[in-house]
Amino acid sequence: MNHLAPSGPMAYGGLDSAPRAVRGRGPKEKGRRGTMPFARLFLRFVFTWALVAGLAHGGYAAAPVRLGAINPLTGKLANHGQEILSGIEVAVDEINEGGGLAGRPVQLVSRDDQSQPETAVNQAQDLIYREKVTALTGGYVDSLVGPISQLALKARIPYVASASLQKDLTLEGKNPFFFRISHLDGVTEPLCRFLPEAMPGKKAAILHAATPGATEFSQVLFQCLRRAGVELPLVEKFRPGTPDFAPFLLKMRSLHADVLISAGFFPDHLILVRQIREQNMPLTAYVGPWGIAYPEFIQQMGPAAENLLGMSAWHPDFPYPGTEESSRRFSETFRAKYGRDPTSTVMHGYTAAKVLLEAMRTVIQQGAPLDGPHIADALRAMDATLPLGRVQFDAKGDPRHYRQVVVQIQNGRLVPVYPADRAQGTWIPMSGPTN
Amino acid sequence: MWAQFLIGVLSLGFFYTLTALGFSLIFGVTHAFNLAHGELIVLSGYLAYGLMKTYGWAFWMTLPLCMLVLTGVLAAMHQVLKKVDEPFALNSLVMTFGMALIAQNVMLFFFSADYRLIPATDAAVFSPFGGVSVTPTHLWTFGLSSAATAAVFLVLHRTFLGKALRATIQEREAARLAGIHVDRMKGVAFAIGGMLIGLAGPLFGRLAYLHPAGGLEATLIAIVITIFAGVGHIRSLLLGACILAALESGAALVLGTNWRELVSALILIMLLLWKPHGLLVGKRSAPEL
Repeated sequence: MNHLAPSGPMAYGGLDSAPRAVRGRGPKEKGRRGTMPFARLFLRFVFTWALVAGLAHGGYAAAPVRLGAINPLTGKLANHGQEILSGIEVAVDEINEGGGLAGRPVQLVSRDDQSQPETAVNQAQDLIYREKVTALTGGYVDSLVGPISQLALKARIPYVASASLQKDLTLEGKNPFFFRISHLDGVTEPLCRFLPEAMPGKKAAILHAATPGATEFSQVLFQCLRRAGVELPLVEKFRPGTPDFAPFLLKMRSLHADVLISAGFFPDHLILVRQIREQNMPLTAYVGPWGIAYPEFIQQMGPAAENLLGMSAWHPDFPYPGTEESSRRFSETFRAKYGRDPTSTVMHGYTAAKVLLEAMRTVIQQGAPLDGPHIADALRAMDATLPLGRVQFDAKGDPRHYRQVVVQIQNGRLVPVYPADRAQGTWIPMSGPTN
Repeated sequence: MWAQFLIGVLSLGFFYTLTALGFSLIFGVTHAFNLAHGELIVLSGYLAYGLMKTYGWAFWMTLPLCMLVLTGVLAAMHQVLKKVDEPFALNSLVMTFGMALIAQNVMLFFFSADYRLIPATDAAVFSPFGGVSVTPTHLWTFGLSSAATAAVFLVLHRTFLGKALRATIQEREAARLAGIHVDRMKGVAFAIGGMLIGLAGPLFGRLAYLHPAGGLEATLIAIVITIFAGVGHIRSLLLGACILAALESGAALVLGTNWRELVSALILIMLLLWKPHGLLVGKRSAPEL
């Protein structure tokens, strides 16, 4: 089916445009009948050629399905957005190489929200009202995903977000067109069990970014750790991009807190971990739910990254049980296309696009109109196992089975350490001043 | 604890000083509000990072080349800004904003959106006093910032060129009538500013991180410090930066980490309302360098 991609657009472009051209010139032709025989002859030739060429190449007989993707491709979150987009591209390529959605190719229309919520709204409006996309996917962090989800509701088109946590976005199922493949519980529940089990009697501090998802994460974690008997003498928030954490670290020292849960992002960890290492902070554990479990982080931090704890939903080395083969195939395809290893963020992008496209396929195969309500119904009925794991949405659009694993950087590699059924090693405390 | 706090405050203050020094000098002499200042610092950081990664250069070896390259970049920038019509202050602001966007996208193209760190490979810790740690990064910050501030101060106060620069800052038309080539002074300010930005870049990459969109933080620091200390007041810059760092860190220590930006924003607003020429400027009519 490799011929489909190059020949397809030409074929349906020809079929689509030629009749319009003939119809559009009808009245003019009446007035000029007999004066432009060559023009009519030329149009007939073009129409016939397009028809024959289209049939001969076996191209798509129908218009493409337009899929909109909005991600932070520039700005502070650019690296995450670009990873998500690459995952979406793999999913779209996979569908198109398999013959499209019941013969209809998928056309990806990508937009950059520049890591700014107002730009995300503008781009979503452009995709929905001007580009006429059938559905939306992508997105990183709730401040960017939230406004897009509201526009999707207004326009009644489905939006499957690749990375979103805030519970309020799906609260009470008030947005039937919004779905997401990640969920806050999938991050907090493993941590709430791991920390009291692994570090009994330790004092922990929570430092979180002043973003909706990180704030909610901090609140949920604080409550569950308190219930589990963990002492939490220090909880603070910070603006992402803060250049100096020295006062916070001093307070941790004075309060003898030796576990730090840092709900910041990749660049915040770079600064904070470096300051911790340079000041020889005597920590038992540093836990970063986002931004730690990345090869790039390990590469940039070098030995300073050793024994840091993070969270990961997927990794080529520890795929979800039962998806080893599909994970391996995905990793190979990704490496061949992009020349690097896929990350958990890439997999989030892939999974969001894949479930959306499969839902569209179901709608087309059922002969129903490919519109928002039907695609949303298909998404609610979906039960698929992808490399990220089992994907099934509840009535609110949240994933039922999304669970991350606790990982630790050991000898420059990510090692899953919790839960026990996914663990490939045991966690090692940070050895304090000499480490 | 308090001794360690003081070390942290001084380190942050010296870092702020070096970040703001080039901006302050250029703004004082040329009235160009350089919104691409942070992007140029990041560019210098990327250059140092590339030299260290590709050729294995030590941190200190990258500094002269970064200063040289950024001097060239700022000279080119000066040539572009020379073509800007009046009102120069407003038009230069718009122009440099455009340059910042271009610089961001160029860096995104060449260096990708990945975050980079300049490694502190010499990260041994000194403990001159019991329980207080001073890292090599602290020492680099103190050393580079002190050296740069002292050098600029000496140039301005001990050389004829410095007198001409100060005269241009104090009263441009009078300086022109006295025979000072004001346009040439602008070029000199951009060149010295380029050297200072070139020096700040590697330190910025070592203390923070390098990212194409990461220049905004440095630009904001430079603007706040310049307004805090007074436009064109090089001597006050170090003191002002240390006071601001102390207030920010104190707020973070006493009230919480999220208060540090609020404190600096409140100080900035109050200064603009009550002391628009800077906190450390007296009632003299002409700025005293």
